Amino acid sequence: MRLGALVLKRKRWEPFAFASPSLALIALVILFPLVYAFYLSLQNFDLSVGPDYEFVGAKNYVEALFKDPRFLDSVWNTAVIIVPSLAVELLLGLGIALLLSRVIHGRPIITALLAIPAMVSPVMGAMAWRMMFGVKFGAINNLGLQLGLLDVYFDWFSSPALAITAVVLVEIWHNTPFMMLVLLAGLQSIPQELYDAGKADGAEGWRSFWYITLPLLRFTMAVGVMIRLIDLTKLFGLVFILTFGGPGGATETVAFNTYLVGFKDFRMSYASALSYVIVGGVMVLTLIFLWIQRLREARAA
Amino acid sequence: MAIAIEQTAVVARRVRGYRLRRGVGHALTYVGLAAALAFFLGPFFWILTTSLKGNEDFFAFPPVWIPTEPSLSHYTALFTRSSGARYFMNSLIISSLSMVAALSVSLPTAYAIARWRFGGGFLSAFLLMLRMLPAIALIIPIYIMYKMFGLTNSYLGLVIIYTVVYIPFAVWLLVGFLRDFPIEIEEAAMIDGCSRVRALVQVVVPIIAPGLAVVALFAFIATWNEFLFAIVLTGIETKTMMVLVTSFTTGGTDAFYGEASASVVLGVLPAFAVAFMLQRYLVKGLALGGTKG
Repeated sequence: MRLGALVLKRKRWEPFAFASPSLALIALVILFPLVYAFYLSLQNFDLSVGPDYEFVGAKNYVEALFKDPRFLDSVWNTAVIIVPSLAVELLLGLGIALLLSRVIHGRPIITALLAIPAMVSPVMGAMAWRMMFGVKFGAINNLGLQLGLLDVYFDWFSSPALAITAVVLVEIWHNTPFMMLVLLAGLQSIPQELYDAGKADGAEGWRSFWYITLPLLRFTMAVGVMIRLIDLTKLFGLVFILTFGGPGGATETVAFNTYLVGFKDFRMSYASALSYVIVGGVMVLTLIFLWIQRLREARAA
Repeated sequence: MAIAIEQTAVVARRVRGYRLRRGVGHALTYVGLAAALAFFLGPFFWILTTSLKGNEDFFAFPPVWIPTEPSLSHYTALFTRSSGARYFMNSLIISSLSMVAALSVSLPTAYAIARWRFGGGFLSAFLLMLRMLPAIALIIPIYIMYKMFGLTNSYLGLVIIYTVVYIPFAVWLLVGFLRDFPIEIEEAAMIDGCSRVRALVQVVVPIIAPGLAVVALFAFIATWNEFLFAIVLTGIETKTMMVLVTSFTTGGTDAFYGEASASVVLGVLPAFAVAFMLQRYLVKGLALGGTKG
């Protein structure tokens, strides 16, 4: 051991040498572009006008936050999609996790099957659902007509409210499995002795759920919700395929709106400013997430 | 005596009541899980049967749910008419290369963190920030830079961005696997005259190979699934499966059912495979963004 310690005497440059390839790549492909995007956001670079641009200061940010109803609408749309999605994902995920925790035989296989939607690309999930919602050949209309629940081939994306509901439904389908997995892991980490002790004190069924399970699952739920919340602010592929932001921009999320500004209108500077507004929001949420994590560690200690 | 009999009867009734309640509870558990399975897997089942239908089955009423004469004609059409074979290969090539590259650069970094606590708490917070960073913030500067260097519409361009975006996740998981690795084995190898790099490659890697496989599979699925960079940075020759799907969304919801369903089946295949292979790691992988890219 003495000899080992001698041989393994730390060379100062070694950790840097080992870490440098990925740190260099991160600096080059993530940090530099981010700085460049910030620089761009202070210019008026617009590819549909021409390759020349000049410094305009915070003009793009002022426009985004105060004068651009389309962007502000997209913030609202994103919130309208996020709130019901998160609520249902949490409740449904908890429900399924509780059911799974009672299963004795075949739990791993059922869990893996239920987890599959979370593993597929949002693009593929949205495409499958887009076809299910299809007017003539879709499963939903055909099943409804066959069972007599519908009497016409219904267009499920015809009104803003229906389109938003469809996006929320597909999002719930796509990510409830994630919430279920997180909560199932949380449930399984609650020691059985607590339930036995509760039983001795007369806490069974609902009472044990209310007084033992829920309080101990609180942090797990907070972590799951925060991760979903942060990822939902980036919702893009799902709406791209399912509704392409329609009808009339009702399902345009912030990420999708920024994409359109950048790659349909080619307003590179303005799109950079919009993306920085999103980054700001995400950073605030990430800090809250870190704070919750720290709180949990403090509790655990 | 009489009292005792009555007590037994009461106990028996209670036990029966308990068993009944438990039996009903079990039945309800499985009914609930069956409903969940139908909701979460139903769309896959329908897409699969749709992709195997003949054209006349689409127009039949009452609708045909399970094709009477399954045919692969839509797959053939997808592979020939829509160049699906090429885009499927693109996805395979790009995902495989990114997977290998991400693993190669992440392993030494994870090793530095696991063995020397390199970067301390700051580095892990930094990696978390990178994991949360919206891709939309990167795509505009990356697009402009790639245009400048001629990296759009190339495998290399996508592989570079996928590799780097994936580093935080890979490092994170690998640090966990390396911390579980007993340092004594490594020390023994180094006392026998092994350099640190050789110890890492020839001693540590073979033993943590299962962990590397987990990270590799998550990296593969993440790049396979990635959409935003793919749709902006690919051109006609380098489209991936995710980009191919967008070509079936033009012309309303009734167009291209055959080929679209076939492409979805091919597009979700890796996810099915990986979900079963990685059961134990799904929570960790998904929480860290393992499938998001």
